[in-house]
Amino acid sequence: MGEDRLWPEHLDEVVEEFQACFDSMERYELLFEYAKRNPNPLPPEEWDDDNQVHGCQSRAHVTCFVDEQGGFQMRGGADAQIVQGLMSVTAMALNGMSPQKVASMEPAYAEAMGIQSSLTPSRANGFLNMFKRVKEDASKLSG
Amino acid sequence: MTLDIDAIRADFPILERRLPNGKRLVYFDNAATSQKPQCVIDAMSEYYEQYNSNAHRANHTLADEATTALEGARDRISSYFGTSPEQMIYTSGATEAINLVAYGWARENLSEGDVVVLTEMEHHADIVPWQQMSVDIGIEVRYVPIDVESYTLDMDAFEVALNGASLVCVVHTSNVLGVRNPVEEIIEKSQAVGARVLIDCAQGAPHERIDFDSLKVDFVAISAHKMAGPTGIGCILVRRDAMEEMVPFMTGGSMIKRVTTEGSTFQEGHAMFETGTPRIAEAIGWGAAVEWLEQFDMEEVHEHINDIASWTASRMREIPGIRIYGDPGRDDSSGAVSFLHETIQSQDLALLLDEGGFAVRTGHHCAQPLMDALGVPSTNRASFWIYNTMDEAESFVHYLQEIVDRFA
Ligand SMILES: Cc1ncc(COP(=O)(O)O)c(C=O)c1O
Repeated sequence: MGEDRLWPEHLDEVVEEFQACFDSMERYELLFEYAKRNPNPLPPEEWDDDNQVHGCQSRAHVTCFVDEQGGFQMRGGADAQIVQGLMSVTAMALNGMSPQKVASMEPAYAEAMGIQSSLTPSRANGFLNMFKRVKEDASKLSG
Repeated sequence: MTLDIDAIRADFPILERRLPNGKRLVYFDNAATSQKPQCVIDAMSEYYEQYNSNAHRANHTLADEATTALEGARDRISSYFGTSPEQMIYTSGATEAINLVAYGWARENLSEGDVVVLTEMEHHADIVPWQQMSVDIGIEVRYVPIDVESYTLDMDAFEVALNGASLVCVVHTSNVLGVRNPVEEIIEKSQAVGARVLIDCAQGAPHERIDFDSLKVDFVAISAHKMAGPTGIGCILVRRDAMEEMVPFMTGGSMIKRVTTEGSTFQEGHAMFETGTPRIAEAIGWGAAVEWLEQFDMEEVHEHINDIASWTASRMREIPGIRIYGDPGRDDSSGAVSFLHETIQSQDLALLLDEGGFAVRTGHHCAQPLMDALGVPSTNRASFWIYNTMDEAESFVHYLQEIVDRFA
């Protein structure tokens, strides 16, 4: 990812796919689709207190680690499909990056996708809390 | 006389609102808080624009006007609830009202082993203070279960729980199920065993005329913001002999007769429980809300709301995967329809509904023990009030059907 880019190049296609949606309902439909395409899902059997993202009304869980190539990897699962879909896109965005880079990422891709109402903190529906948790984990993994 | 819903709607400027996505607002979150008519907004603005000053504290004209308005609101509100102003203590809402009974009455009059009876249907506001009392003074808390088939209180279990009870605290109308409990029977049976009774009317007051004196109940908690009034104010209505047993749990200015460095003497009656600068604008706003409500026959209002709830619930039952918790439309139910879809998670459903302009509530509704009894972590809830229309309900059902078609 170049210095001036807000998200890695390979995510452009995903962002454009969302931008091409006719309306917000279509965007949500696409997000429901993405919920099924998580490259690294965390199945409910593995949800526990440690990997729970707090501050969400729905349940969301993430675990992060560094792979053999030194790339950041996140696994995530949520009971709400909208959060799950955003997790998939987030995993697509972040997996393989250096943990240092992840620790300084901003969720600009989600804004560009036009999922505004899922992003306000007061809705407490998980995305921003999840993103913050991922960054905190990345920061620890950079250590 | 039938309700003129168009004229009623015209009193609520917010109902004209469009959401950022251009959709017209359909407000179905009335059990959380109702909207406010223009007259309430005006009464509060007028106070701030024309006679803002501290009540009960000075001889100047503005203070006199503020005090008169504050006490005038108390007269109007207490009379609306069928009692005298002496029986009414302003609080910040139903939550503070119940806490005042816990800290002002129970802590003074109950001791270790005394029994307080609650129900599984209670709002957290009527659970947590009693759990605190159990920690503080060792009271025993009993919960009357609900029958999950009929969504009503198990009245046989209630009678068993009453054995040796000192206080019974029951929600008048459930904020989740919309079920109205048989409070008259509960009051009578509780008093027959010598227990005092608190009824949480936060949800009841917006749907029927609560007649405090004829209920012969000891305490009634009320919230203004669910009945067209502003947030931040409510009251506890207290029977005379129960008030005599109470001590203030907040102390300071206003509630005293005389303070010296040696100690203080307190005012008598409701004044003993209202300390600090009162919520003057809020009380005036609530008074205006009650004046606004007085023009309606609450039985008609209830019928209107219940018709919408019952129609909506029956149509929702035809949508595949929707399950309704409660039995909307029954005579003893208010306008709340709690529901879940079997595959569309409640948060997702609420966001999708919001896209269509529909404001519904999602979550545990501050009633986790009830959620546990129902075996679900949360529900979606559509709750209706006086200004809602059958057209809105129809568009809601259509939109919900569309969501289910596309997302289930
Ligand atoms: C049944 C019930 N009791 C108590 C409360 C709390 O009322 P307030 O907001 O006035 O503190 C509510 C409000 O949600 C309620 O529905």
